Order: sequence, then structure tokens, then C-alpha cells
Amino acid sequence: MRHKIRTRLGAIGALAALGLVAACGGGGASGGATGSSGPTEITFWTWTKGSAEVVDAFNALHTDVTVKFEQIPSGAAGGYTKMTNAIKAGNAPDVLNIEYPVLPDYVSQGSLADLTPHVGELKSKFPDQIRALTELGGKTWAVPLDASPMVLYYRKDFFDANGITPPKTWDDYKAAAAKVKQADPKARIGTFFPDDPGHFASLAWQAGGKWFGTSGDSWNVSIDDPKSKEVADYWQGLVSDDLVRVQSAFSQEWNASVKAGETVAYVGASWGAGSALRANQPDQAGKWAVAPIPNWGTPASGMYGGSTFAVTKDSKKVEAAVKFISWMTTNEQAITTRIGIAKSTMYPAAADMVPVAAKSFDNSFFGGQDAYSVYKDAAGTIKNGWTWGPSMFATNSTLKDSFGTVTSGGTLTDALGKAQKSTVDELKKRGLNVS
Amino acid sequence: MSVQKSHRGAATLLMAPFFALFLGTLVVPIGYAAYLSLFTERSSGLGFGGTETLFTGLGNYLHALGDPAFRAGFGVIAGYVLGYIPVMVGGALVLALLLDSTLARAKRFFQLTLYLPHAVPGIIAAIIWLYLYTPGLSPVVAAMREGGLTWNFLSSDHALSSVINISLWEWVGYNVVIFYAALQAIPREVVEAASVDGAGELRTALSIKLPMIQAAVVMTVLFTVIGALQLFTEPMILNGANPAVNTTWTPNMYAYDAAFRRGDYGVAAAASILLALVAALLSFVVTRIGNRKGAA
Repeated sequence: MRHKIRTRLGAIGALAALGLVAACGGGGASGGATGSSGPTEITFWTWTKGSAEVVDAFNALHTDVTVKFEQIPSGAAGGYTKMTNAIKAGNAPDVLNIEYPVLPDYVSQGSLADLTPHVGELKSKFPDQIRALTELGGKTWAVPLDASPMVLYYRKDFFDANGITPPKTWDDYKAAAAKVKQADPKARIGTFFPDDPGHFASLAWQAGGKWFGTSGDSWNVSIDDPKSKEVADYWQGLVSDDLVRVQSAFSQEWNASVKAGETVAYVGASWGAGSALRANQPDQAGKWAVAPIPNWGTPASGMYGGSTFAVTKDSKKVEAAVKFISWMTTNEQAITTRIGIAKSTMYPAAADMVPVAAKSFDNSFFGGQDAYSVYKDAAGTIKNGWTWGPSMFATNSTLKDSFGTVTSGGTLTDALGKAQKSTVDELKKRGLNVS
Repeated sequence: MSVQKSHRGAATLLMAPFFALFLGTLVVPIGYAAYLSLFTERSSGLGFGGTETLFTGLGNYLHALGDPAFRAGFGVIAGYVLGYIPVMVGGALVLALLLDSTLARAKRFFQLTLYLPHAVPGIIAAIIWLYLYTPGLSPVVAAMREGGLTWNFLSSDHALSSVINISLWEWVGYNVVIFYAALQAIPREVVEAASVDGAGELRTALSIKLPMIQAAVVMTVLFTVIGALQLFTEPMILNGANPAVNTTWTPNMYAYDAAFRRGDYGVAAAASILLALVAALLSFVVTRIGNRKGAA
């Protein structure tokens, strides 16, 4: 019975693949990037800032591989839905943009090609810790673009004018939050994002929480572990005391309150400066500064988001795809293009590329401050040992729904408990081992 | 004989496009959904070895029915119907009767103006309303605050009313047009006879016009209830902004969440089939009640 449905999907996939091969006009050599009969055309979907420019640069330099780029909405805004549907329908592009948290989802759905045989030398360019997030079940499934260390962005003009110093610990953050509110009753130091569980997860990661782990052939799930609960209680307190706003991440509402100077700081990742702040608040250039993220006693960071590039299972051009991915993630010109020309502020995962990024970065938004040195310090403190689970879409759905009730009587700790239960249920339903 | 034959040929030819579309866009997808709903994807161990598709019988149906989130969706729909239908039907009736009364001026203008919101696609309407609901952006909220009225459209207590408001804006005008057309079909001599007998405008409206357009009202209620079961676009847009409107707020959203967030097409298909069954059952019941009332 199961063969029937498989063959059918397979047939659809094969038809679509035929269509693609036919469409690549004379590029007959499928799989071979160095075919003499013209360039291999690969397709690429992403939303990461600056990708259009990077693709243009790649195409201008390469004659054997041509990349057809398509901008898609960001993952949470529908990008992942689009990708999942395309994979299901058998008409997915060759190269996809997948963030670390949901990479295990795609791998466990059997959507991606095993890159292990293609990335031998490439792998050594990334720090072990980040590489580990792309290796699941002993195979390599994706190549990291950026690490996403977390920092505190703050309005230096507001902090200076009111004698507030950037908080070093989370206790300081709470005290600073009260001072901000006192200085201007309409202003708040930051935001709790109920629709963005990834943001909370990165804070739990920083505190030493560990939501998933594996022992042998089974999963350990502990979304409501003591450290994560501490973080939940802490933010619950900030919300109840009206010291932070509760708004959707990157929403018009949030942008408006930043614009109006009513949100004067933002706990975010390296990429947040380029994608969220600088892009939307050009008139606040020079007023912002970067500080290390507040911590629980010793400097530490989690990773908030961060992109990898993967190749889809049905792609017939894995070699060409890896060549392109390798260029995007570890070539100097790719990084200069993305950061210098396209104004991204991502922090490259490849260690060699960090100085390149720092050099191409235009720091006028931060009044001349060298943001990349802050990112670099933060990247050095990313806690080891975090693993993402195989059903983060389901986990995030539950978290998002229950975080949403934080302003109407729900608590964040309850939310963690619910997510724990629904995640274990989901894993069991899929037939995975849970211990 | 041959005439009849050629008639039949013409009928087949003319109806073929309808049946082709009916088959291709309704029957086949429903059949495919029913088929999908019988299978589930299973992995093993840590799950990194891909998935296999297994026959599960009614397993997906039991899963959906056993899921409190799915059942809660029907509760939301019930609340929505109870809040929405009386206001919508009542409002549309009042407006249609006003348009139809001898006192009305500029009828064409009002008909067009009332209908206009319906010409705006639902998703655009929802996005516009989201903007009008958002504090700090919305001129409406700002004006209300100036006037001393603080109402947060996006707070969780006001989820249902905020969705109902969008639906009202979209649909009242449309139903006014339906009711007005029905009112126009009432023979003028009946209305004249009533006024000769001394009935005023109000009396005529309540005792003559309303009973005579009952069929149109029943039909509108039927369509509205079925439409309510499919509630999706507006809450989907409010989903990110209003915490109470969660990802599985209505049965349709539950199916969407299952398919496109959890990647569980089997449960999504089962939930959709269940929803279709409820809609079919409800149409049957409402039509029966409508018919009995009409006959009595």
C-alpha cells in the first residue's frame, strides 16, 4: 500500500525533474558541473539579505554553473510552507535556505540530499560547534552561511542622555528597564516576541537550557528544563511589570515603536542590525550602538536563527549546487558582496571570512563602532551542546500559541510544559524513539 | 428522433465544460484528500533515515477528533455564527428595507456604496483592517483614544469581535443587494393594497415585506453558516497580531497547520473531510428547517 503512494509521488517528481532538465536548454550534462555542452543551471530559493547581489556576482564569474535566483518570503512568513509544498510536489529548486532550528525537520522528512561525499574539504572551514548543527545521524546535510551570535542593540543617545549604562547581566537589564520607563513613561527597553519562539529558545540556550539531546537511538526532550523555566519566569516578570513590550517580531507595530523612539533597545542576533534595524530606521543612523548580550553571570550566547544552505533530495545537480554553496559561504568576494554592497550584517560561520566581513561592514549606523568585534566576542561565547529537535515546526506552533496568551493570564512556564508534551506526542506519532 | 438526438448532443457539449471543471476541481481533489487521509508517514529511531508511508485506516480521523485543538475550532465557529449572523442578517434587512421604502433617496448610489466593500478581496480587506486595528499605526484607534475610548482590537478578549467586524464589513452590503432584489420582486399591488388598507411604512415592512422575502433570508443564513465553517482568511491575517487567534483557531486553520507547518498531510486531509461532512450535514439540516417553515 505504501508503495503505491510513493510511486505516484515519485512519478510526479520524475516528470517535474524531466521538465527541469529539458528547460535548462542544452545543459544536458546533469550532475556534472564541468560538462562541455554549456553551463549547468541550478535554481536557488532564499530570503537571506543580499542573496540577489551574491548570485549576480557568482554568475558573472562562472561559466560552468549558472544560478537562477528566486526571492521567497522569510521562513516564518511563509517561505518554509512554500519550500515544503514544492518538495512534496516534486518541483523544488536545487538549493534551499534552511535555518539551523528546522534543518532536522527537513532531514527527518527525507527532503534533502546527503552532502557527505561532496563536502570533504569544505567542512574543515567551519568551527566544530556550528558544523555539528548540520550533521545529523552521522551525515552532512547542509553548509552553514552564518553563525548568529546574540548582542544587545541600544539607542546610545537615549541611554547617554538618561545616564543609563548598557546592562551587563539580566539583573542589570531589569534595573535598566525600570530606568528607561522612568526616564520616559512611553519608552521601553525591549520586547517579548510571543510569535517568535526561536528568540526565546536562543535565550534558553544562553542560560544553559538544553531542549533536545540524543542517547543512542532515541531522543531526550526537555523543553521545560530548569534553566529554560528560569528564563521563562524572568521574562514573565518583565512582561507583568510592564517593563518590556509584547509585540510580534519585526511587525509593523514593532517597527513603528522603534521609529517613534518608544523601543530603545533590541536583543537580537548579528543579522538583526542589517535586516531589522538599519533597513527600517535609516533616520536613526549614528544613534545606535552594540553591546554584549546581558548574561546570567558569565558571558554566554545562544544562536538566534542563522542560515544554512541545503540541496534537495530530487536535485540532479548536487555537484554544481555544492560548488555554488561553497562559493557563497567561503569565498571572499561573496562575503564582501553580501556585507559591503547588499548591507547584510550576518556573521560568517567560516572563520576565515570573519575579518573579510568586518572589513566590508559600513559602521556608520553604529556611529563608527566596530560591531563585528562585538559579534566576534559573542560568537566565542556560544554555548556548546545545543541540539535542535526533529519537529521544531510543531514545537514552535505550540509555543507560539501559548506564548500568545502571556498578556491574558497565560504563563511562559505553562507554555514550556505544553510544548514539552506536544513535542513528545508528535515524535511518538511519527514513530521516533523518545526516552 | 434525430432532433432529440442532436438536442442531446448540444446539451452534452454545452455542459461538458461544467462537468470537466466539477470533476477536476471538486470531485478529484476530494477523492485525493479521502485517499491521503488513510495514510500516515512514519520514521524510526532518531528519524534521520527518511519516512515511509503506511496505511492507517481511520487513524488520522481519530487523531483529529481526539485533538482538543480541532474540537475547539468548532467552538470558535459556533461563537462566531452566534455573534455574526444576527447582526449581519439584521443589519442587511434594515438597510434593504430602508432602500426599498418610499422615503429612500439616491437608491442607486447607496446600493453601489454598500456593495463596494464586497468587491475588495477578503485577504486585502483583512490586511487593511489589521492596519486599522494596530495601535500606533491606525488613525481609527488614535481617534478613538482622542475621544476617550480605549478599545484594543488586538487584545485576546476581542478576537472574535474583531473578526466578526471584518466579516460584517465585507458581507453586509452583499446581502443588502440580495434582500433588496427579493424586495423588488414583491408585486407592487400587494404593497399598494397594504397602504390602501391603512398600513404605514413600518407596518408594511414588518407584516408584508419581511414574510414575503423569507426564502431569501433562509438562503442567506444557510450560505453564511457554511461560509462560517470555512472561516480562514481573516483569522489567518490576524494570527500574528492577536494572541487569542492561534494557529489552529478554526478547523480550516487546523488543517492548514497540520499540512503546512507540521507536514502531516494525512491528518490535514482527515480534518478537511470531517469539516466537509459537518458542512454537508449542516446544509441538510438548515434546508430542512427552511423548507418546513416555508411550507407552514
